Amino acid sequence: MKLLLVEDNERVSQFVVKGLKEAGHTADHADNGRDGLFLAASEPYDVIIMDRMLPGHIDGLAIIEALRKAGNRTPILILSALSDVDERIRGLKSGGDDYLTKPFAFGELLARLDALARRAQGNSTETTLDVGDLRMDLLSRKAMRGERVITLQPREFKLLEYLMRHAGQVVTRTMLLENVWDYHFDPQTNVVDVHISKLRQKIDSDCERPLLRTVRNAGYMLSANADNSG
Amino acid sequence: MNRMIQSSAFTLAFGYVALGIGALILFAAPLWYAWQVTIQDGRVELLQADTQRLVEVFRRDGPEGLRAFIDTRVGLQIAGERILLLTDPSQRRLAGNVPDWPRGVPLSPGTSTSTIDLAGQPTEAVLVRASLSGGYNLLVGRDMARFAPLERRFWYGLAGAVAILCIVGVLGGVLIRRTLLFRINSIRRTVLAIMQGDLSHRLPSPQSGDELDTLSRTINGMLDQIEQLFHGIRDVSNAIAHDLRTPLAELRSRLEELALTRPSPQETFAEIDAAVADVDRVIRIFNALLRLAEIDTGMRRSGFVQVNAAELAAQAVELYVPAAELKGISLSCRDTGPIPVMGDPLLLAQAVSNLIDNALKYARDDGSVSVEVQRRPEGAVEIAVADDGPGISDAEKLKAPERFYRGDTSRGTPGVGLGLSLVAAVAKLHGGQLVLADNHPGLRAQMLIEPQAARPWREQSPSGALTAVPELVDGLEAPRVGGLAAVKSHPLSG
Repeated sequence: MKLLLVEDNERVSQFVVKGLKEAGHTADHADNGRDGLFLAASEPYDVIIMDRMLPGHIDGLAIIEALRKAGNRTPILILSALSDVDERIRGLKSGGDDYLTKPFAFGELLARLDALARRAQGNSTETTLDVGDLRMDLLSRKAMRGERVITLQPREFKLLEYLMRHAGQVVTRTMLLENVWDYHFDPQTNVVDVHISKLRQKIDSDCERPLLRTVRNAGYMLSANADNSG
Repeated sequence: MNRMIQSSAFTLAFGYVALGIGALILFAAPLWYAWQVTIQDGRVELLQADTQRLVEVFRRDGPEGLRAFIDTRVGLQIAGERILLLTDPSQRRLAGNVPDWPRGVPLSPGTSTSTIDLAGQPTEAVLVRASLSGGYNLLVGRDMARFAPLERRFWYGLAGAVAILCIVGVLGGVLIRRTLLFRINSIRRTVLAIMQGDLSHRLPSPQSGDELDTLSRTINGMLDQIEQLFHGIRDVSNAIAHDLRTPLAELRSRLEELALTRPSPQETFAEIDAAVADVDRVIRIFNALLRLAEIDTGMRRSGFVQVNAAELAAQAVELYVPAAELKGISLSCRDTGPIPVMGDPLLLAQAVSNLIDNALKYARDDGSVSVEVQRRPEGAVEIAVADDGPGISDAEKLKAPERFYRGDTSRGTPGVGLGLSLVAAVAKLHGGQLVLADNHPGLRAQMLIEPQAARPWREQSPSGALTAVPELVDGLEAPRVGGLAAVKSHPLSG
């Protein structure tokens, strides 16, 4: 992926750019809004990471609005220290696609970038999802592992659907809470882990090759290849 | 500021005076016109009647008879007598009190107002002329100067009225200014005291119900709000000082030890992982505090929408069922059909989640936790989460919703001690409160909310809760009166 980071804090920028390069992506960096807008408008990027408060009295949101007005549809992840619900809503309304509050775990950022890039190119018209021998029929709302029918509760179905749509990518607990349950807060105990382990029992029990794996310090990944570590 | 008030009061008084004078002129002008017309017309009519009488005398007795008649009248020396003149065909005076036919006045019959020379003085007069048979001419007139004193008195009266108006206006302006200045100064003094940092001051409001009083009370309401926000910020900073220091101190010593002892890479990585976990804990506390502060400001009330409380609770239950099963606890939600409330879905969901989370923590192994949503008879909606655990003592029931309070039994369980604070704050935001009651055995946490959006200023206390658990309600009320600040909070006592 080719990414653009617009962020004025030097340490955060170094950390993010280094991490992105280690994950196999190329990343450009702009430390002010003017350069950021220029780069974003002139280069094709897969995802743009935009800080909100930038030097030179330019709000990241203003840049996003300018890009959207110019017809630029590149997915944008807003990175901000402003955590209020209202701020989040403002960020998404201005044209951002996802909102991540500082401080953040790098794994969370990476997972969200993957999801955004995938969403931009993915088509939502498909009626079946396949990961290895796991198959989901979105119309009849049935899931099969090989020949075995998996009975799922409605929420489990939604959870598995989300995991399958992001197959091969790491999805974090927060992403699952936000997208499957629509809960934008952090429940105190790891309820998501329990849901996942229940789902794992249903799809991976008595199977030689498990599909649903836990990625340490990040989240989960549904993948057919055992060696794909995201 | 003083000068501005002064000038504004005087402008007001001056404006009133000008308005009064304008009104007086508008009132006097038609009066003056009507008077003029009536007097003038009446005068002409009288003169015409008089002329008619003299013409009659002429017709009956001839020129000699009229001459004698006029001579007799002039001889009577009546005060304010008319101008009388009878001339013969050659324009010579036969009788009358003026020497000859005034210049500039035509001989033809008619009525006119002209300035004539009367005893050497130019005088304005109304003149009625009549042509008599045989070339005789008759002039009957009246000297208008006789009415001048009357007119003068009218103008004097008007000027007097204007003068009185001016004096009263200026006096009124001064009085209004003094009263206004007095009250505004008292408001200013209070505001100055508040600006210097004493938020407990309030504007005097004499309950007179006038505009300034209404303004004072509105400002007082605003000050209540500001004071509570201020206290909220202070509470949060106290809480941060108290509770963030502990994990930060742990983190610091962990890193310092690492730097000093330089252990094997394996151990170092383990320590780094632990340090990241410490930081995450600090971040979690920080987020919880910010969320609480956000709720305390009451700002989120603007985002209230219609929410089905029953469905919201059922969803939260569904999220926790697998976690409960893992502990062997049966978590159930009684279906009651839709219960609509006005509220913030995100905060309500978080509050219910916190209650369930809490109940699962304290419920007996293979015990049960039940969630109920119901409308109370008095109108409040109750979301209750009941467990069958050990419960807590009455004293603890009061302290549990305080920020960072962690009961003795909860030592060693995960959590930061802000869960119930958030529930209480959310309940308060929704015009209700959190009530902790006995479940015999166990704890029954009841979140009471008003189904309609909470009123912005006064806090509401559902009367049902007051009668049901009176000893608890006192403890749960905010220590400050009449406002939004959510939870009683003694972060330094924990």
